[in-house]
Formats: sequence, structure tokens, C-alpha cells
Amino acid sequence: MDLPERTSPVGQAVALFVTCLVDALFPATGIATVRLLEHLGVPVTFPAAQTCCGQPGYNSGYRRAARPVAEHFLDTFRDAPVIVSPSGSCVAMIRHEYPRLFADDPDRHAQALAIAARTWELTEYLVDGLGVIDLGLRLPEPHTFAVHDACHGLRLLGLGRQARALLDALENAHVVPLEDSDECCGFGGLFSVKMPDLSAAMLHKKIERIRASQAATIVTGDVSCMMHINGGLARRGLAPRVRHIAEVLADGLPERTTHAQPGR
Amino acid sequence: MRSQAAKFVAAARRALADPPLQDAVKRATDTAARKRDLAMFAHGRDHGEALRQQAAAARRRALSRLPELLEQAEAHLTANGATVLWAADAAEVCAHVLDIAARHHVRRVTKSKSMVSEEVGLNDALAEAGIEVLETDLGEYIIQLAGEPPSHIVTPVIHKSKEAIRDLFVQRLGMPPTDDAATMARFARGHLRAAFLSSDMGISGGNFIIAETGTLCLVTNEGNGRMVTALPRVHVALVGIEKVVATLEEYVLLTQVLPRSATGQAMAVYTHMINGPRRAGEPDGPEALYVVLVDNGRSAIYGTSYAEVLGCIRCGACINACPIYEATGGHAYGWVYPGPIGAVLTPLLTDLKDASALPHASSLCGKCKEVCPVDIDLPRMLLDLRYDLVEAGHMPWLWDAGMRAWSTATRSPRLFHSAARAAQIGQGLLPQGRKVPLGPLGGWSASRELPRFARQSFRAWWAARNQEEDRHDQS
Amino acid sequence: MTSRETILARLRAARRPFADTPPPGDYLPVAPVDDEHPAALVEHFAARAEALNCTVHRCPDERAALAAILDVIGADRQVLCWDFAHIPLPGLGAALARAGVAVAPPSDPSVRVGITGADAALAATGSLVIASGPGKPRQVSLLPLVHVAVVRADQIVPHLEAWLATVRARGLDAFQAASSTVIISGPSRTADIAMELILGMHGPGELHIVVLEDTSA
Repeated sequence: MDLPERTSPVGQAVALFVTCLVDALFPATGIATVRLLEHLGVPVTFPAAQTCCGQPGYNSGYRRAARPVAEHFLDTFRDAPVIVSPSGSCVAMIRHEYPRLFADDPDRHAQALAIAARTWELTEYLVDGLGVIDLGLRLPEPHTFAVHDACHGLRLLGLGRQARALLDALENAHVVPLEDSDECCGFGGLFSVKMPDLSAAMLHKKIERIRASQAATIVTGDVSCMMHINGGLARRGLAPRVRHIAEVLADGLPERTTHAQPGR
Repeated sequence: MRSQAAKFVAAARRALADPPLQDAVKRATDTAARKRDLAMFAHGRDHGEALRQQAAAARRRALSRLPELLEQAEAHLTANGATVLWAADAAEVCAHVLDIAARHHVRRVTKSKSMVSEEVGLNDALAEAGIEVLETDLGEYIIQLAGEPPSHIVTPVIHKSKEAIRDLFVQRLGMPPTDDAATMARFARGHLRAAFLSSDMGISGGNFIIAETGTLCLVTNEGNGRMVTALPRVHVALVGIEKVVATLEEYVLLTQVLPRSATGQAMAVYTHMINGPRRAGEPDGPEALYVVLVDNGRSAIYGTSYAEVLGCIRCGACINACPIYEATGGHAYGWVYPGPIGAVLTPLLTDLKDASALPHASSLCGKCKEVCPVDIDLPRMLLDLRYDLVEAGHMPWLWDAGMRAWSTATRSPRLFHSAARAAQIGQGLLPQGRKVPLGPLGGWSASRELPRFARQSFRAWWAARNQEEDRHDQS
Repeated sequence: MTSRETILARLRAARRPFADTPPPGDYLPVAPVDDEHPAALVEHFAARAEALNCTVHRCPDERAALAAILDVIGADRQVLCWDFAHIPLPGLGAALARAGVAVAPPSDPSVRVGITGADAALAATGSLVIASGPGKPRQVSLLPLVHVAVVRADQIVPHLEAWLATVRARGLDAFQAASSTVIISGPSRTADIAMELILGMHGPGELHIVVLEDTSA
């Protein structure tokens, strides 16, 4: 991966970039992320001015529209020593695309590179950044999981190994395979709105694989996949089955708090 | 070939509603993808990845020296006894071939597979001039009988079931009905054998041209490539200018990576190196060899940020890996090249506006780049094409307006949070569990439940928790 | 301006892509071979060729090789054949004559069997390297349904990269002297009919490789 190198985040406070989808639609993922980090004794801040990484505009080709949004991100997190986000696609946007988006502006480009060197997706932050795989977590009941690899995290950030390691270390978690786990769920951001038939066809295939899996819960690192797949399951009259890895891990925390239901 | 890419959305919808097509395409691409994985990594993951990097570097090096390599190739081809012709566009390719045919009194042509010939509509031009053209690659022969374009660059007829092919042979060739594929193939072999032997001119494509020796290289499995280039008096090869490789070493690498990536074979059955027409003393081979170097839009790509797409070796691995191709098959893409490579080449080689649907026919999953043996960054180019579409004003005005609104709302924390609050309240107006036929929401909600805004956003939770902690600290 | 000039001018005027790509290091063999000893190469070659649906006849001497070839010819009275000088079986001409088998002109489409030698064989992929030349018509390995190729064990090299090294050692003129060099890996095949693998499309449907093993090595 040709991404800006990062130094160890050990001992640093974390500024949480919770992402627009998590903030508005799936706050439980953000809450779980906070709980996990605090469980590890990591001081967490939440820069309240944050909005969005700019992906929706950028991925649709609207770079002029996305640019001020990305600039706002750079400004919001300028002083953050370490940025952690529970989203592979947003971190990919920041690390992979921001340098390209700001290629023609030396100052902003430098800022983008600097921020890219301090930004981590949650699972890679834990496993590669902190070097922690076993957080001492234990689920109340045995439960079977399978991993769905969200595309941007998998292919742009090399994620997947970390989530599986964390699940393996989670007591009472049993991990089974999901066939074609690395195949796209069909969301693709605004692709799902622009080309809904194609998106639905891909979703259908993913749901067939999930229904054939032995896992009770499918775990993923992006709420966008979770939203897409659970939305398709609901349309078929089926219960939601996909949860974000932060929430699954947080279920294993010693103190329990009320967790929102999956999909809400 | 005229591009029908503008009809992609409708064509894709038809394809999605065609179960036999879905089955055929799925089976073919799953098989090919599986075989590709086995072959590329037959000596371990690291070895396979190293091959990809070496192949990618070889293509990039060649592209960085393209004009010099073309001149070197031309000099050696000529020294070998071939005639080298240059064609700027489709019309010129056809003109060259017709001219050669006239000079050599050609009435019957046999062809092995050439995607370039599809680009330029060569078969139509030959037919118009009263020259009989027979495709000899079995897949191409079948689609020629059916009057259809190819749906895949390596396996052009995957969209047809065995039964459909059987019916075609029965109706058009008078074959006694059979469901045995081997019998059908043997029937086609017999039918084409006579054509091979009586052909005046063979037309082929070219997988590579080795600059250092002026060697024209072809890979085939059926033997039709050899038939077409060995038996007729004249051989004409149509080769895109980007197919030049510098050295025999690069060729040896690429001619092994290509079949592994395309069909999972360690070598194609016939890996053919042609060093000119028949030599003095040789008992057979063509008397004349013409190599037509075809531009047709490639030189325009060369100096742009899309140059790396010229490194493509036409293996089809990206096509086999693509979920959109799997869902639609090749015809929906509307031109010569389907799948991810087609989504990039068609806008660049034909017309951006006309092909505007293609760069958006992707969830950007990145699988294409992962399997490309020469590491072409197709997803990056799809993103760049989307940007080009916006800058050229080819997006629907609703999208332009929507994105402006999104940008305004999202760059300002205050506006963004107000909008989120408003949506959270407003969603109560939307029916839950039912379809919402409202513009873009309609497409989504036909097959998916709409997501719901949470009662308490994350930031509200954070703020409340901070207040609580402040109260705690104070007490 | 001619199209040639236009095209080259446009390419030259453009910003060079990948101008900073480093020169190649060593090319690793695409298909490495663990054991390159002659005996191991023969084994490897035979295994790979058989995996491609070739029939490999390993023959300790000329007599066994001739017997194998006559067996393939069966009751046919005609074969296509390279000039005997290019086939490493000095007794082939006499053996065919004794068996009443005539060598037909190369373009005779009714002949079932074609016999050639080879320039080299590749162990890694079970392939034969066959160059055209005087006395070596291309059609002999192309038209008939059955292709018999005779190769000496010492002609087997590990892989295509090793073959290339011999080409360079001999000098490129020798390579370019042949108008056609084809590397044949198995009988012809197609999977165009519903992805079913079918052997014997336009080229030969049967490939017999007679390997003359040098027992005196």
C-alpha cells in the first residue's frame, strides 16, 4: 500500500472521527468505539465541529463540492495527535484520496499528508497501532460470527486481518467462514441510488451468502455495508444480522450499558 | 463498431431480468476467476504478487518509451520482410486492409480474433467490398453466425447456452441436432477446415510486438491463429500501438502471465512468434506479411493521466472479477470492451458523454485492480472519469443541484447538524416497511428498507455524557 | 503528414508516462522448476505434458521410439512428416518404408498423422518449441488430427526463460531466421461452448510426444 507512513499512536489521546452515518443513523457504533478506547485507558476527544469526510461528493466526481468539506475536516482535526474512525471507507478517503484532492494546493496537500499520517481505522488502530489483540473481553453468551470485508477497507487499507484477530481473541466468540466474504455488498455509496438495479442484484447475492452461512451475526467494519445489507434483509421480512465490529467487541466489556438495536 | 454505451442502463435492466444469461455469465466468470487464482499463485502468494509487479513494471517501462519502441519495432519488422503500415483511425485501418486485399486479388478472408478489428468495423468494410470474411475462433464464429457482437474479450460467447449454440448450428449450418459439445465443435471444425484451406488472406490481431526483434506474437488455444497465419498467401495483423514490448525477456514474462490471468493456463496451447513472411527455402507460410499499427484514440490517451490503461494486455481478469459484469454480461456495455476495462476504454476511445453511464456502473469495490496482472488502477480512473463528467457538464442537473446543497450543508457544522435534526424529525412522515417511490429514494427502497435516523445522535449522547460528568465533577 | 508522422509526433509531444520506472532487475522464472537435473527434467516434462492431455512415450532407445510411432500410425498408409534430417531418429525413413507408410505432401488435408521433431521442450509447462524452416513445414504440426513430436531428453530445458537464454546464446539471427516459432502446449482446445473443455478444435486433437531418453548418460 502506497500510503503515508504512520508513527506509533501509543500514549497519545485519540480524536474520534465518528463519521456522518454513525453520528446520525448508527450512534451505537460510535458509543461502542468510545467505550472500547476508554476501556484501554485511551483518552478520547470528540471535536464537535466535525461533519463528513467528503466521500459522497468526491466519489460522484464532484471534487469542487467535496473540497470545502474535506478542508473543514482538515481544519477540525488539525491539532489532533491521533485520529481514529470506525469506518474503513472514510479512513480510505482521508489517507488515499485527500492527497490527490489537494494535489494542486501545496499547503493543503501538506496538511493532507500530515493528517493521513495520523489517521487510523479502529481495528488497525487497536491491532497495528497499539499492538493490542486481546482486550480482555468476554461475551456473556457464546455466539457465532462471520466477517464481511468492506471493500475500501480491504483493498485500499489492507484491513481484515485485524478484525479477525480481535474476534479470535474475544471470549465466547466463534468465527466461521462467510462464502465470498470479500465480494462487494453493492452499496458503493451513491452507486446504490444511481444504479439501484445493479446494487440490488449485488445485495441479493450477498444476502444469499449470508443466509447460507452458519454465523448468527455478520461482522463488518463499515456501517454503510451494515445499513445496506440489513435494509435488504428487512425488505425480505428478515431480522437484521449485520453489526459493526465495535459493537460486537463492546458487548464483551465488563460494564454493560444499554446498546441500541442493530440497524437502528 | 458503433457504441451503444448510451443505452447501458436499459440494457443492464434487461440483462438482470434474463435468468439464462445470468446463469451463463455467472458460471463462466466464476470458473475463470477460480482458475486464474490457482494459476497466478501456483507457486505461492508472494511469487504471484512478484510476477504482477514485474509485469506491471515491464508495461510501464514500455509505455515510457513507446515512440522509440514503435520505431524500433517497425525497423525490425521491415528487416524481417514484413510491411509496416500505420493507421490513425478506423477508416484508415479499413482502407489499408482493402488496399492490400485489392493488390493481392483477395476474395476470401479467414480471421482469428482481433478486438481492434471490432473497434474499426473491419468485417463490415470487407463485406461491403464484396470480400467474404469468416471468423475462425469458435466463439467469434458463433457470434458471426448469430449476428451479435462479442460479450467478453477472451470468451466472446459466454452469454450463449449450449442449447442456443446447438440451435444456431442446426438452423444456419444444417448440423444434425446433438447436445454433445464435442460433436458440435467437430462439426464446426469440419465446416471451417475448407475455409482455412481456400482462404486468400488471413487477418489476425496481435498480442504483442517485440521491439528488439520485430516479432509479432499471438496466443491462441484453438489453432485457428496458426491456420490463419500459416495457410493463406497473405497475412495481415492489426495491432494496437500500445502492444509493443521492449525485449524478449519482457515478452517471455507477459506471454506466461497472460494465459494464467485469462484462463488459468500456464501457457496458451499455441504461443506463436512470427518473424516475417515465409523465408527462402521454407515450404509454407504466407508470401506477404503486413502489420498495421493502429492508433484509433490511443495516442490521445498517452499523455494524459489515463496513460496506464494502455498497459492492458487484454487478459479479461478484471471482467471476470467484476460484480457489475457478472450482473449484466458484456453486451450491456455497448462496445468492444466490457467490464472494468471497457468502462474506462469506451469513454476514452469513443465519446465521454455518450458513454457517461459506464464510469458510474461500479461500486468501486476495487476487485479489478486486485486481479489485474499489470496492476492498472482502474478504480482510480473510474473516479477520474466521473470527475471529467462533472467538469464537462454531463451530469443530470438534479445531481449538480443536490451536490451543491450537500456541499453547502456539510462544510458548515451548524447547517449540517440542523439538516440532520430536520431529517430526523421529518422521517416520521415516511412510511416504515413500505416502498417510497420518490425519485432516488424509489430506486433504493424498491429492494431495501430505508435507514432511520436515530432518536439520539452520537453527538447528542456525547454532549449529554459530558454534562453528566460535569455535574458529577461538581458534586 | 503521414499517419506515421502524426502518431509519432503526438506521442513525442506528450508528457512521458512512467518516466521514472526503474530498469528491470532479474526476471524470476514464471514457472520455476525445483530440480533441474536432466532425469528430473524428463519426469517433470512428462508429468506436465500428460496433465495437458498429451500422450508421452518415454523410449529408452530408437527401436522403442519407432515402435511407438508406428503404433500411433496404425493402419494408415500415409503420414505428413518433416524431412527426416530434422527428426532425431535416423531410422525413421526406413521404418516407415518397411511399414508401407508413404510421406504425403504437407498440404494433403486427408492425412491423419503428422510427424515432427522439435527445437526444444520446456519441462515446466510440458511444451514443445517448434520453429519453421527448410524441410520443416508448419502444416505438419497443424493440419492433421494427430501430431507426433520426437524430442531427445537432452532437448528438455527447465522453462521458457531457460529457452530464451539459449536463444540469446545462439544469437538472435538464428531465432529470426525462422519465420515462425510456435510453442505448443497440448492438443488444440476450446471452451467456447458453455465453458465445456473440448480437445481438438482446429489444430491437432491428439499430441503424442516421443521422448528419446539417453540411457548412456
